[in-house]
Amino acid sequence: MTVFISGGAKSGKSGLAQDLAVRLADGGAHYYVATMIPVDEEDRDRIRRHVADRDGLGFQTVECGRDILSCLDRVDCNGSFLLDSATALLMNEMFHDGTVDEQAGERCARELAVFVQSVKNAVIVSDGIYCDAARYDEVTELYRKGLARVDRTLARVCDTVIEMAAGQQIIYKGGLPE
Amino acid sequence: MVLIIGGAWQGKLDFAKETYSLAEEDVFTCQGVEIDFSRRCVDRLEEFTLACVQAEKDPVAYFVGREELCRNSILICGDISCGVVPMSAELRLWRNETGRLCQYLAKNAARVSRIFCGLEQRLK
Repeated sequence: MTVFISGGAKSGKSGLAQDLAVRLADGGAHYYVATMIPVDEEDRDRIRRHVADRDGLGFQTVECGRDILSCLDRVDCNGSFLLDSATALLMNEMFHDGTVDEQAGERCARELAVFVQSVKNAVIVSDGIYCDAARYDEVTELYRKGLARVDRTLARVCDTVIEMAAGQQIIYKGGLPE
Repeated sequence: MVLIIGGAWQGKLDFAKETYSLAEEDVFTCQGVEIDFSRRCVDRLEEFTLACVQAEKDPVAYFVGREELCRNSILICGDISCGVVPMSAELRLWRNETGRLCQYLAKNAARVSRIFCGLEQRLK
């Protein structure tokens, strides 16, 4: 089963995603695809907190901050994959080496679609960043558009689509395992 | 009347085109304080509300008395309600007026859809 989860900050996305990835593995291999490339101490702190959260759940960590399909030859595709988050992955793809890659959204969407179709179980987390009354600069808007492209593609190809709000699930498509 | 709301880039217009079999020429894209209701679909109502704010006009009042004109309209408005309160007074007013208009339109609409990542959530 493949599941796409989005929603606001601290809405319970990661907690649900971890829980689902473990349940879908059904005792088999489950992987945490680490997409964040830390640049400072704040990032490293955040990673330490997330590692502590996952402690005892039996995840194998696969580091892959870019070129997401490249991690598939290091894993058992019959396992269960937690990718948290598409937001970080696109950030790394779009803003690499101090340049802006305008094709990143399209490429990321395509690669993630192949990713979820290549593995038995996947839970992908993204972020809802689309509902504010701000006029963004061109680069930020390019990123928002790119992430929306990724989100819409994942919502199309995944079996289940969920928006989280205050820890509650709004299910747009499919269902969850018992 | 149908109202479709949702965040930026979520696929509101694509959803409208597919659901209501609209062609490109059926869509009016708001740019100022006037709306062409001869087109079946009115897109980017948030640009209409912004223009109203800039012209010091009331976007809800514009719709009052035009019920017949938009009886069969498919109206699309971006949801701009969820960010930090904008620093600029104009954008604050824009946010409020857009919310007020959406409430008014939703009350009068036969169907209200919210689009999330291209998928519909039926609110009414």
